[in-house]
Amino acid sequence: MTDNRTILICDDDEGIIDMLEIVLEGNGYHAISVKNSLEIFETIKRVNPGLLLLDLWMPVLSGDQILKTLRDNPQTNALPVIVISASRDGQQIAVNAGADDFMAKPFDMENLLLKIQQHLN
Amino acid sequence: MVIRLARILYRKKIFIFKILDLNSLTNGEFNLSNESFKEDFSLLTQALDAAITGIILTDNNLPDNPIIYCNKAFELMCGYSRAEIIGHNCRFLQKEDRGQPQRQMLREAIQNGKDCIVNVRNYKKDGTLFYNELYMSPVKGENGKVNYFIGVQNDVTKRKNAELELLHQRDIMEQRISERTTSLKESEDYLSSIVQTVRESLIVLDPGFKVLSVNDHFLKTFKVTKVDTEGKLLYDLGNGQWDIPALRELLENILPSNNPVEEFEVEHDFPYIGKKLMLLNAHRVELEGQYKDRILIAIEDITERREIENRKDDFLSIASHELKTPLTTIKGLVQVMQRMVPPEVSEKFKTILDKTGVYIDRLNNLIAELLDVSRIQTGNIELHKETFNFDRTVQDTVDGIQSATQSHNILIKGNTGEEVIADESHIIQVINNLLSNAIKYSPDHKSVIVYLSRVSNFLKFSVKDEGMGIKMEDQKKIFDRFYRVGDVQQRFPGMGIGLYICEQIIKNHGGTLWVESEHGQGSTFSFTLPLSKAI
Repeated sequence: MTDNRTILICDDDEGIIDMLEIVLEGNGYHAISVKNSLEIFETIKRVNPGLLLLDLWMPVLSGDQILKTLRDNPQTNALPVIVISASRDGQQIAVNAGADDFMAKPFDMENLLLKIQQHLN
Repeated sequence: MVIRLARILYRKKIFIFKILDLNSLTNGEFNLSNESFKEDFSLLTQALDAAITGIILTDNNLPDNPIIYCNKAFELMCGYSRAEIIGHNCRFLQKEDRGQPQRQMLREAIQNGKDCIVNVRNYKKDGTLFYNELYMSPVKGENGKVNYFIGVQNDVTKRKNAELELLHQRDIMEQRISERTTSLKESEDYLSSIVQTVRESLIVLDPGFKVLSVNDHFLKTFKVTKVDTEGKLLYDLGNGQWDIPALRELLENILPSNNPVEEFEVEHDFPYIGKKLMLLNAHRVELEGQYKDRILIAIEDITERREIENRKDDFLSIASHELKTPLTTIKGLVQVMQRMVPPEVSEKFKTILDKTGVYIDRLNNLIAELLDVSRIQTGNIELHKETFNFDRTVQDTVDGIQSATQSHNILIKGNTGEEVIADESHIIQVINNLLSNAIKYSPDHKSVIVYLSRVSNFLKFSVKDEGMGIKMEDQKKIFDRFYRVGDVQQRFPGMGIGLYICEQIIKNHGGTLWVESEHGQGSTFSFTLPLSKAI
């Protein structure tokens, strides 16, 4: 059963993870973070999050690779994914890989919370 | 003596006087009879004196062949009076100038009793040199013995001087030609040493694309020898490796109608030396003459440069990504702080937090702009074209800015009613930039107006402010990279790349961006985007 209050963060940058955890926890969400992209599938299986905030440029597995794998798997293909990236071409890559939404870094917190809410409903 | 002279003249047929209308002439000739002799003689002497040619007689039977007669013209010619002439040998006119080879000719003629014409240097009484063209003719007696010589003399100094002048001029001319030839040769060597030194490959082709010459740099860059290159057809060089479609297009189709062609990019994979990216300048010689229709091609090898530019782009991409990541964290944390501000905190604290947010955004823009400039410079700006509703995009962008601006009221007038195929994020960037400028540079005013319209097959966006305006001399330059208007820089710091980026983006979409402004009267920035075709 998906937990609509649990948001999974996948980013290789500790600062981003820290900040997002503060923001999300402060808004009543339960934030779980994955820094090592290889652990993402196992974590999803374990915590069954309501939404994934996914970075693109990460070592070993990039965000779009993860996204494609998720979309190819019937158990995860419905998981709402918002790609967060500082890359200029991020939006195009995210859309092509099957993201539900995209936020360019640095983003506005209010907008992010709004989008999270939209996709959870 | 008198009779002798008359006879001599008669026999030598010097009928100068024939032209005179004389009563004593019978059938046009003197009869020199006893009755008319005196009159005839007087006429003859008058005629001789009227002649403009100097005439003398010398007596060969007297010692040293002295002059026994001279006419007036001779006196005038040499400046001596008759009294100073009679009795002298002709050579007195040569003064000290005795070594002339012409004298030998005269001497021989006298000895052999022959006619002769010589040009001798003579000297007037006052010492002035004159050239005397002397016709000397012997007068022989019944026994064939030479009794007299007649000397007919003309002062040909002017002619001689003209001839000498001519010779002199010819010498000068020859000298000049030789100097010119030397200097031409020198400048040719000079030019060719320049051509050999430039760090760019140069080829000269004849109108049939045969290689006439190449410089050292060409040989080095393309690893060929002069022998293998010069005199060969360009397309045949190195087993046809120069038979490049883009090059053929340039030489055969573009150059004949667009002369010269500059910065023509050709990419080609050469056997042995690999892929080369070349920038070509081609120029067909239009001068009349031996160089007509020759083709000069300068080739700049930009393979490495392009590679470095791409690496720089990559580097900036990574750098900006890396810079933006911690910036995201800072921005997020500041926003959290803003929301967590306890009610008892002072207004000043809140203002400081707000300002921190503003400067984070500015830093973010600077990072984005740096990356944009680098990409635009290298032509690596990528357009992600999609169809979107232009009016709605403008409205959304304006709303976004309006929500962050208390100082100004942004009003939209008109609409385009058009869907447009363009890179929406880029267009938003341009609108944002123009609107921010309008607000930034009109701090003492309250409104900014956006005009939307459709003009022919273009849509037009304008933003009008009532601010400080832009001086005429600055209006062109504000679109240059890193240009900042002097007095503006003091009040509004910036990098001076925003408008440059905007113009490049609009240009890449096939539109134009321009400004109309008057100093102190506000500015209107406008851009157009084409509607009819996909960009």
